[in-house]
Amino acid sequence: MSLNLLQIVVNGLLLGAVYALFSSGLTLIWGMMNVINFAHGEFVMLGMFAAWLTQRYLAGGPLVFTLAAAVVLFLIGVVIYVAIIRDVMRGPMLAQILATFGLALLLRYAVFWAFSPDVRTLPAGALDHTLDLGGILIRLPRLVAGLVAGALALGMHLLLTRTALGSRLLAVAEDRQAAMLMGIRPDRLQALAWGLAAASAGIAGALMATFFPFSPLTGETYALTAFVVVTLGGFGSVPGAMLAGLVIGLIEQVSAYEIGPIYQDVVVYGLFVALLWLRPQGLLGKA
Amino acid sequence: MRWPWLALGALLIAYPWLVSGTDSAAFLQDMGVLVLLAAIGATGWNIVGGYAGQVSVGHALFFGAGAYLPLLLYQHWLLPPLLGVPFGVAVSLALALAVGYPTFRLVGHYFSMATIAVAELVHIVVGNWDFVGAAIGLQGPATPRGWYDLIFLSSVPYYYIFLAVLALLLLATWRMQQGRVGYYLRAIRAGERAARSLGVPVRRYKLYALMLSATFTSLAGSLYALKNGSIDPDYGFGILVSVRMVIIAALGGAGTLVGPLVGAVILIPLETWTNTVFGGSGSGLTYIIYGGIIVLIARFEPGGLVELWHRLVATRAR
Amino acid sequence: MSPPLLDARNVAKHFGGFRAVAGADLEVREREIVGLIGPNGAGKSTFFNCIAGDLMPTHGRIVFAGTDVTTLPAETRARLGIGRTFQVPATFEDMTVLENVMVGAFLRHPHRHRARQRATEVLEMTGLADQSSQRARGLGTPGRKRLEIARVLAAGPRLMLLDEALAGLTPGEIQRAIGLVRAIHAQGVTLVIVEHIMEVILSLAERVLVFNEGHVIASGTPQAVVNDPAVIEAYLGRGRQKKSAVP
Repeated sequence: MSLNLLQIVVNGLLLGAVYALFSSGLTLIWGMMNVINFAHGEFVMLGMFAAWLTQRYLAGGPLVFTLAAAVVLFLIGVVIYVAIIRDVMRGPMLAQILATFGLALLLRYAVFWAFSPDVRTLPAGALDHTLDLGGILIRLPRLVAGLVAGALALGMHLLLTRTALGSRLLAVAEDRQAAMLMGIRPDRLQALAWGLAAASAGIAGALMATFFPFSPLTGETYALTAFVVVTLGGFGSVPGAMLAGLVIGLIEQVSAYEIGPIYQDVVVYGLFVALLWLRPQGLLGKA
Repeated sequence: MRWPWLALGALLIAYPWLVSGTDSAAFLQDMGVLVLLAAIGATGWNIVGGYAGQVSVGHALFFGAGAYLPLLLYQHWLLPPLLGVPFGVAVSLALALAVGYPTFRLVGHYFSMATIAVAELVHIVVGNWDFVGAAIGLQGPATPRGWYDLIFLSSVPYYYIFLAVLALLLLATWRMQQGRVGYYLRAIRAGERAARSLGVPVRRYKLYALMLSATFTSLAGSLYALKNGSIDPDYGFGILVSVRMVIIAALGGAGTLVGPLVGAVILIPLETWTNTVFGGSGSGLTYIIYGGIIVLIARFEPGGLVELWHRLVATRAR
Repeated sequence: MSPPLLDARNVAKHFGGFRAVAGADLEVREREIVGLIGPNGAGKSTFFNCIAGDLMPTHGRIVFAGTDVTTLPAETRARLGIGRTFQVPATFEDMTVLENVMVGAFLRHPHRHRARQRATEVLEMTGLADQSSQRARGLGTPGRKRLEIARVLAAGPRLMLLDEALAGLTPGEIQRAIGLVRAIHAQGVTLVIVEHIMEVILSLAERVLVFNEGHVIASGTPQAVVNDPAVIEAYLGRGRQKKSAVP
């Protein structure tokens, strides 16, 4: 493999880890509540803006603004669950999908109106280095983003599978009625899941903001990426989303390199359609 | 119970004449055309999204296909754009099958995700493909070569053509609603599992609904291109085109016959007003309002204004 | 002797490691009324779902009226003549009572006029005619259960699977419901009834099967089954188990 391609592969995996992080939250909600959050891309975008605002007005470094994004988005996630999702979940599919879709519009254009449609970037600051690993050049922000995202995604997986809290969350996903009979209260857990999902999207956004330019409208692309990842990963499967995130990140970057950046999305969306036709259960889902 | 319909019909027919005496006659007549156009698109969406309950958030796919094909025929072969209308429908039907066939055997979310992904995919491809005009788009004839180019100086002829098309589509929707197809679609929306247990071939009927819906929406796109004389990737396949159809139908009443028309009558003037007052769609305020309205409808009155009206009438009758 | 209308053999349904149905047989002759009883969680509804086509059995074979329906989807089975009601009523909430029943009627009567006639007949028979223009969501649970029965009846099934269709009714309503089931039976419909209310089983079923932990543990006349020690143990034992249940 040429050095160039190897570099693309590494970058693809690092980006894929970030995709894995924000997609894990989406698939968790999907598995638990049978709701696809059409505003998930906006959570990522809000994370980017939260980071930007923190960095601008509080002069914090990457750790500070990522944490800020996490906290802000966690709260937003919980509020959205309580105010909207909880009631809409029980209703017809039309109401569910409209609710998060409308929310996406609302958030996107609220930020658009408040901050103008300009594309902006976050100054890399302390992370402004490029590492040379055996001939492969990796910008430090991407490396940090990929490693942190990967660690957090793994952390989420461990939380779900190794802790009591996690098993309660999974129980609700598995069979809500049975979980309630066992004394589990789904409402709080669902709110928590929304908070976690939003926070992980926010963190992913904050991390990406250190190396990607962003605008109020970039959420839409991330939402579509998340949809492809969760479908590839399999309904409700967090480990699936993690694996699929890496795969999609890789495919995207390699496509951009081979065909051109304009068409990278076309390849991913085309892959999505092929997936729906041939293997909708994804990698780790049940047939 | 017939007279409200007759009154509505009479009002719609007389509208251009009624406003012709005012100062802003041309503007109001043009807005009437835009209202009818929006109503046609939303009526199309309503078949699959309202009656069958399969929420498409990428209906621009069909609108754009309907808009591009007529102008494509003109741009490359100087044919009357009108001839391209059936081709637009054909392409839309193919796209409908590509999206619906694999997803209608799965849970509803897959269909919704697929519609937005495929719409965006086509949006990007069209925006970069020279044959269809890339980012600039396509133009129709600048001056009419005959009646068939459908170029008029005034909005009024367009108004009546669009009104006729809308009336036809509403009639088709009404007939569908009354018969087995309508009942089966509503059953699918109300409870797929129960519908299946009563012998409803769910996947097949969802496809019927989608294909009918795609046809209607494609016609809306064609009408837009014929009137506007040009099309570009954003106005054809942009997400806001999809959004507009959804919100107009949902606000008026998804799954009702006149919901889309009601929604169009309210939202198009509203959008024109907010754009004028708040400085163009560039400010984004219009879409904040749209988003807010969709959330409120979803949360409090998924049946839209028509449902709300029925509820108020019912409470007053007691 | 003529072949049975329904012949389900060794039907099993596993969810991962959990065996909801672990090999159950059910043979039903035309015009019979068979009862299916057993403690909660014994697998009765899952078994019904396998017969109706809601679920595909993990293994086993289901033959209905001479056709192997094991892998056929629910809508095809309905067309062949299997009808069912749901344990938790699944009426079309936003549609009126009449419209609900018409959905059923359209299966055999594709034209609106005839479907409407059939639906009206069924509404008369089931005592819902007065509420025909009411929205289904406005009915209470007993009304919904009756609506479900009317709806599936309009679809003209040969075999009707009633899943706890009489649960939660007052004694008066139970009597009326029993009358309705008898009337349906008189029209030639074969019935399999899941019930917890012994009175219903005793008065309607000619033959009873007892389910526990995914398979049939006893079968016979209602009287015989009710006094069977194994059956009593199943109900009592299940009660004891529930208290110390480990999720």
